[in-house]
Amino acid sequence: MTLLNKTTAFLIVMAATFFTAQAQSSEYTIDGMTFGMPEAEVYTEDYDGPPVVGEYFTMLPTLKPLEYEGNKHHEVRLDAMVQEIEVADGVRYRAWTFGGTVPGPTLHVKEGDRITFTMKNRSDEPVVITEPGTEGSPFLEQVRDNNFMDAHPAIMPMPHSMDFHAGTVAKDDKWRTISPGETIKFDWVANYPGTYIYHCGTPSVLMHTAMGQHGVVVVSPKDGFETDDQVDREYVVVQSEYYLEKGAGELYQYDFEAAQNVNPSHVVFNGHQTILHDQPLEANEGERVRIHFSNNGPSGTSSFHVIGAIFDRVWMEGHPFNEMRGMQTVLLGASGSAVVEFIVPEEGSYILIDHEFADAEKGATGTLKAGPRQ
Amino acid sequence: MNLRMLKKVPQELLKPDPGSREMINLINILLSKWNPAGALVLLAVFSTANLQAQGGDKLLIPAGSFHSVLPEVVGEPVRVDSFYLDEVAVTNEDFLEFLQANPRWTRSGIPALYAGSDYLRHWKEDLDPSAKNSTPVTRVSWFAANSYCKWAGGRLPTLNEWEYSAQALDISDAELDRFSFELMGWYSAVDANQAAPVGSTGIENRYGVKDQFGLIMEWVEDFKPVLGSEISLDCGTVGRMQNGSGIYSYAASVRYITRMSFNAKSTTGMLGFRCAYDIDQTKRLEEQLP
Repeated sequence: MTLLNKTTAFLIVMAATFFTAQAQSSEYTIDGMTFGMPEAEVYTEDYDGPPVVGEYFTMLPTLKPLEYEGNKHHEVRLDAMVQEIEVADGVRYRAWTFGGTVPGPTLHVKEGDRITFTMKNRSDEPVVITEPGTEGSPFLEQVRDNNFMDAHPAIMPMPHSMDFHAGTVAKDDKWRTISPGETIKFDWVANYPGTYIYHCGTPSVLMHTAMGQHGVVVVSPKDGFETDDQVDREYVVVQSEYYLEKGAGELYQYDFEAAQNVNPSHVVFNGHQTILHDQPLEANEGERVRIHFSNNGPSGTSSFHVIGAIFDRVWMEGHPFNEMRGMQTVLLGASGSAVVEFIVPEEGSYILIDHEFADAEKGATGTLKAGPRQ
Repeated sequence: MNLRMLKKVPQELLKPDPGSREMINLINILLSKWNPAGALVLLAVFSTANLQAQGGDKLLIPAGSFHSVLPEVVGEPVRVDSFYLDEVAVTNEDFLEFLQANPRWTRSGIPALYAGSDYLRHWKEDLDPSAKNSTPVTRVSWFAANSYCKWAGGRLPTLNEWEYSAQALDISDAELDRFSFELMGWYSAVDANQAAPVGSTGIENRYGVKDQFGLIMEWVEDFKPVLGSEISLDCGTVGRMQNGSGIYSYAASVRYITRMSFNAKSTTGMLGFRCAYDIDQTKRLEEQLP
C-alpha cells in the first residue's frame, strides 16, 4: 500500500467513525415493540397557534374514548408556558405548565400507537390558552367552558424539557432541555399499556415539577381490559403536591425548604384543593366506575382509597397483566399509577382520599356523587 | 459521577487566561451546535472594531478566589485575576446608543444567525425602547451582548469573573441562607413584565457592583463552560453540582444550569448583561482621554 493509499484509508476510517458516532440507530422491533426513534429536532419557529393540539388531549378528569381500530399515528403539540392559576381558595401562583393547567392535559393513545410530539418553550410569551382558537383539541374547549383555575398568562422565561414515562427512548436526545423560544420535535411509540406521568426533566427537576410541569398519558391496552364492556364511567384523577408560601405581594411562590423536606403546603387531586368537591365525579348506584389514578408527586406517596367502596379490580400501572382484586387501598410511590374499578353500592356521596391523613387534610380528597339506580 | 470525587482538573480549564479566551469561545459555539468556524468568522466581520468609551462606573474587582459549583481541584478554589466590571447592567438607554451607532444590530437589521425572532421584541421600534430607559436591556442574544461590549471597549465577563464578583458579599452565613431563600423565591416568581430600574435591588457586592441578583440573569462570555459538559443536564444534576447541601449552593446550581441551557441566539425577558474590561484595556482607554 502506498503512503497515499494509507492516508486515504485512514481518512476514510476517521470519517466513517465520525459519521457512525453521529448516526442514530434505525428502527427495530423486539416482542412486537418498536424501538430506535429518529433523532429529535430542535429549531425555532414563529408559532402562535393553539398551545395544545391533538384530538385525544382532554382536561382532567375526562378521557376521550379511542374511536379508531388498530393503531394510529398521533401528531400532537403541547407547549410549555407560564400561567397564573388558582390552586386553592385564595392561593394563586405563577405556574410553569404544559398547556396552561396543572396538571397538563391528558393524552389518550393505544398500545402500539406512534406519537410525533412537538413542544415550543413559550415561557417568554404571554400565551392565552384558548387563543387563537379552541379547535386544536377537546382540552381547549373544556378550558374555555370550565376555566376553574382562572388561568391568566404570565412570563417567566426558563429552560424546559419533556419526559414522557410512556416513551422508551434515549433521554439525552428526546428529553433534552430547550431554551425559551426553541421548539423540540421527536417521535416515540407507546410500547407498554398503562397510565404514565409526563413531566419536565430540566434541573432542578424538583422545582420544575413542583411548579406544575406534569400530566399523564393513558395508554390503553390493545386487547383492552377484561371488564371493558361493563364499565359505565371512566375518569382520570391525578394526585400531586404544591410547595408554596406567600410571596411579597398577593401571589404565592415556590418554597424551596418545604420542597426539600417534603412538607407540602397543599396535596391535591387534579391540581386544585377543592375541584373534585366543587365539581364531583358522577355515577349511579350499581354502576362500575373506572379511575385511572396517577400519583405525580413530585415527592410524596399516595394511599388511594374510596370511602364506602372496595376496588373490585386493580391493574397496577394500568397494565392488564398486573391484576389484583378486592383492594381497600392502593399504595403508589411518586410517578406510580393504577387503574382501579369499583361498583358504586348505593346512591350517595363517596369520598376519594389519600388515606395518608396528613395528605388528606392538606387537600387530597374528592367526591363521587352517586345518583339512584338506573 | 460524584463530582466531589473528582480529584484533579486541569487548571487551564478552570481559569481561561486571556490568550485562551478565543479558544473557549470557539468551544462554546461548538458546544451550542454552531458551525464554529463560520460563526466566528462572520462575527468578526460583522462586529464593529472601534473602541468607544461608555457611560456608567467601571469598578475594580481585585484578584482573588472563590468556590464554584462546578468541579474543582480539592482544596484549590477558582482563582480570578483583577478586572473591571460595570457597576450596573446595560440599560435600554445604553443599548439604544449602541444601536444608533451600529444599526446592523437593530431588530430589523440583525441577521437570523445572531438572534431569534424575539430579539428586542418588547421595543416599540428599531430605535425606540419605549419609556423604560433606566431598566436593563433584555431579549438580547449573546452575539449582540458580545458586540456591545466590544463597542464599549470591553468584553463580556467570564463565567468565573461574574460569579466571583456576585459571590463577594460581606454577609454572615445565616444572612446568606436567608438571601438564598429569597433568591429561590425570585427564580420561581419573577415577573418578566415588570422590569425594575438598574440599581434598585439594594443588592451590592463588597466592591459596589449592583444587582447581580434579583434583577435579571446575565450573559457571560463562556456561558457553556468546558467543565459543564461533564455534567449532563438531567434530573440529578443539582444534587451532583451542589457544593454542600445548603440553599446557597442550590440557588447557585439553578443559576449555573439555567445559564448552560441557553444557546448564543437565545433571548429572554429575564436575560441581559453587563461588560467587563481587562486592566490593560482600561488603562489604554484612560490614556486616550484628553
